[in-house]
Amino acid sequence: MAEETGQRPQGGSSGYQGSGGPRSSQGGRPGGGPGGGPGGPKRGKRNFIRKKKVCRFCVDKVDYIDYKKAEILGSFIQERGKILPRRMTGTCARHQRWLTVAIKRAQNIALLPFAAEL
Amino acid sequence: MEERLYDLIFICRPDTPEADVDKVISTIESVATEKGAKIEKTEKWGRKRMAYRVQRLREGYYVYMVVRSTQGEAVKELERRLKVADPVMKYLTIRTDEELKRQEKLKKHRERRAARRPRKTAAPAPPAAPPAGEPTAAAF
Repeated sequence: MAEETGQRPQGGSSGYQGSGGPRSSQGGRPGGGPGGGPGGPKRGKRNFIRKKKVCRFCVDKVDYIDYKKAEILGSFIQERGKILPRRMTGTCARHQRWLTVAIKRAQNIALLPFAAEL
Repeated sequence: MEERLYDLIFICRPDTPEADVDKVISTIESVATEKGAKIEKTEKWGRKRMAYRVQRLREGYYVYMVVRSTQGEAVKELERRLKVADPVMKYLTIRTDEELKRQEKLKKHRERRAARRPRKTAAPAPPAAPPAGEPTAAAF
């Protein structure tokens, strides 16, 4: 239980989880299940645990985000071609900075779209 | 002057015969050597689908090269050549040496830290581990 209460503020600050993000499958609202342990839920408080998102590049210890790897970069853009914000993907500030540069380069050489074509 | 590394990518029209692509590559190479630059790598990625239409075409023949040069002029000339080359419909040059240097630096830094870490964490870890391990072992 101590773990859960410790986690809650962090999950809150990492904030809004949109639809369509690469991590949306594991986030969101696990319909009330795991939080409802004995002595757990306080009334009036929203009661769900958000899994803390971790920077995918930090996990893999990436030092350089290659603009040529369009498949990887493609998972960080929305369907319409927008770059996903950090709050959705959990990418750390440093890697997000590199990522945007890489995505923009890839766009320039038609590896990634600027905007979805209709 | 210090050496600089550049990535050079260009996209040819998908209907250009292989021979013409090779011709473009060879002219690039000759221009580069003429201007004191060196082609380190040439990769033909082949026909690929592009993310958006360029000159109303969906596909393009991608060629990727790595150029090492001390002269900025060389890159300028290469870009000019690509611009006037008929089969080329899109090109991009990117300077990469600074980012590669940064990558090296970070890698070295991590290795040094990894080499140092065992001594640091080895001491506090064993005392922490047994108390956590024993109760569970007793409980189950």
